[in-house]
Parts: sequence; C-alpha cells; structure tokens
Amino acid sequence: MNKKLEHQFVTELENNQNIVHKVCTLYTNDRHSHNDLFQEITIQLWKAYPKFRGESKFSTWMYRVALNTAITLYRKSKRSIRTQDYDSVIYKITANEYDPQEEEQLKLMYAAVKQLGDIEKALVFLYLEDKDYREIAETLGITEVNARVKMNRIKKKLRTILNP
Amino acid sequence: MIDELDLLKKDWQKREEHLPKLSFDQIHNMIWKKSSSIVRWILIISILEISLPNLIYLSPSFRKNPLLHDAGGFNTIYIVFNVFYYAVVLYFIFQFYRRYKEISILDSAKNLMRQIIKTRKTVKHYIIFCLTMSLVFFALFIVGIYLSDEVLLAFDGVAEKSKEIPLEKIRTTTIWILSIGAVVFTAFIAGIYFLLYGLLLRKLKRNYKELKQLEV
Repeated sequence: MNKKLEHQFVTELENNQNIVHKVCTLYTNDRHSHNDLFQEITIQLWKAYPKFRGESKFSTWMYRVALNTAITLYRKSKRSIRTQDYDSVIYKITANEYDPQEEEQLKLMYAAVKQLGDIEKALVFLYLEDKDYREIAETLGITEVNARVKMNRIKKKLRTILNP
Repeated sequence: MIDELDLLKKDWQKREEHLPKLSFDQIHNMIWKKSSSIVRWILIISILEISLPNLIYLSPSFRKNPLLHDAGGFNTIYIVFNVFYYAVVLYFIFQFYRRYKEISILDSAKNLMRQIIKTRKTVKHYIIFCLTMSLVFFALFIVGIYLSDEVLLAFDGVAEKSKEIPLEKIRTTTIWILSIGAVVFTAFIAGIYFLLYGLLLRKLKRNYKELKQLEV
C-alpha cells in the first residue's frame, strides 16, 4: 500500500515539478540553494500527501505547500545576492526570439522581482501563474481586498526599483 | 508597470520548457531525506530546552547537595516547590505538544506562521518560568541563610571556617555572593536564550508582521 502511494506521489510530482522549480528560481540565487529548496519542498509535500484527498487538483494543492515551505519553513543559507547571480540563474536562458530592448527590459524586471521580500515574491509568483485574487488571498491568509492593495504596492515598488 | 508585469507573465510562462527536469528516481530519492525545516529545528531545540533544566535538576550531584536535604525546615518548602515545579513542567510539555501538532503546512501562510510563533512562545514562557524559579530558589536560600545559622552551616566547610572568621561576616559574604551569582546566572542564560530565539524566528516574524500589517 505504501509503495503504491509512493509511486503515485512521485509520478504526480514528476509531472508537476515545474511549479516547484519556479518557486525555487524565485526564492534562491544559485543552483545549490535551488536544489536544497526543491528537496525541502519535496519532503514537505510527501509528508502532507496522506492528507491530500483529491478535492482539488494536485497542482493547486502544491502551490500552497511549496510557497509555505519557501516563505516559512526553509532556512536560507547565508549567501549574499550578487548581481551576476541574476544573469547566471534567473536569466540563464536568453531566448533569441526577443528584440534586444524587450530582452533588456525583462532582464531588469526579473532582477527587480528578486529584490522583493518573501511575501511580495509570493504575490508576484501567484500573479505570474495566472491565479486570481481569491486564490492569492486564500494561500496567504489575507483578504482579497488586501491582496489587491498589496499587489498595487508591489507594482509601485517595482517601478521605484526600475526607475530610481 | 501593468504592461511590464504582463510582459513578464508571458515570458514566465514560455520559460517553463527551460526549467530543470528531475527524473522519477531523483525525486524518489528525495522523499526519505531528513527535513531541515524550521519546524524540525524548533522541535529539536525545544525538546532540549525543556529537558535540560530537568536534567540538571535531577543530576545526582545536584540531588546529593547537602543544602537540599540537611537544612531542617527547608525540606518542606523543597517538597512543595518540587510538586509545583513538575506540575508546571507537565503543563508546558502538554501545551507544547498540542501546539506543535496543530502546525500544518496546508494552512494559509499567515496561519502557519502564527501557529509556529505560538508553539515557540510556549517554550519561551517555559524558559521564563525556569529562570524565575531559579531566582526564587536562590532567594529562598538567601532568606534561609539570613534567618537561620543551620542553613548557613550546612554549606561545606562553613562550620570549620566559623572557628576563624565570625559567623556574621561569613553570612554577609555568602548572601552577597549568592545574590550576585543569581543575577549573573539568570542574565547569562536569558541572554543566550533570547539571542537564539531571535535568530531562529527573525525571518518568520518579519514575514508574519508584513501579512499582519495589511489588516490595519
């Protein structure tokens, strides 16, 4: 029975691993920390898996566990954020089809998002993942109105970072 | 900015194909690894914190201390003190266990953080209780020494020394040493504890505050 559960879980996670990788990309600055956080999220997902009743989609359920691990449970190793890390990690895959101006803009945007706090990153992440404000609010435990207010503040903050 | 964030959103979704891909076996290997999460650390550190004062308290050298047994009327106080102490310790262990069990990764971020802070607070109160108890203990000694020669003479070597030095002088010196010792000891333990506590929860408290502030 346990073997079956294990197989089922690993298959589900293998199929949905992108979500975890994206959270790791946002919250860590190098490959080592990325793998470290990925592992911690996997452990937390597996520990919580018996409580997953299939009421929601596995992927929906993963968002909460992954973000909770990144924001609350994960203890970052003390590595300073260096500018070159942005290039090497977040922007390591430069897509050639973009025009240079757009590409430069995206690069700056990613770097700006990296400078946000843990909670702000979570909001941006869920926004980028096309989640609505109701889901953002529920995941973080705030009201929908406050989620909107916070998102507007983040947009302002990003603007300040980009145009100092 | 909205346009820029939308631009980012489009790019973000396209980027999926470039993300790392782990195999079934790689993921499978991970699920039995030990967690290094803050909740696990809190559990380990809290168990140590709850058991350490008791281990010191129960250690044979502490038990055999003549002060605790030979000092006449002090014994009754000591028994009452013990019963009270263990009742409170049991209460703290129960509270800690209950709160620890309530921590759930499936909660919202805010509730999860609140639950962790609450669990940790139980241990903080326990430490404050232990430090208060140690101060009370010292205070009882000091009062005992002040009121009766019997308590003072129970100290190793005091009986012999009193032949050379007046007992009053020994009494004053002992009271001073015990008072200063008690304060220094308590301050030292409290200092270490709150440093550790602060470091452990700094990030969590900051994030919790940020979510809390939205409500105002």
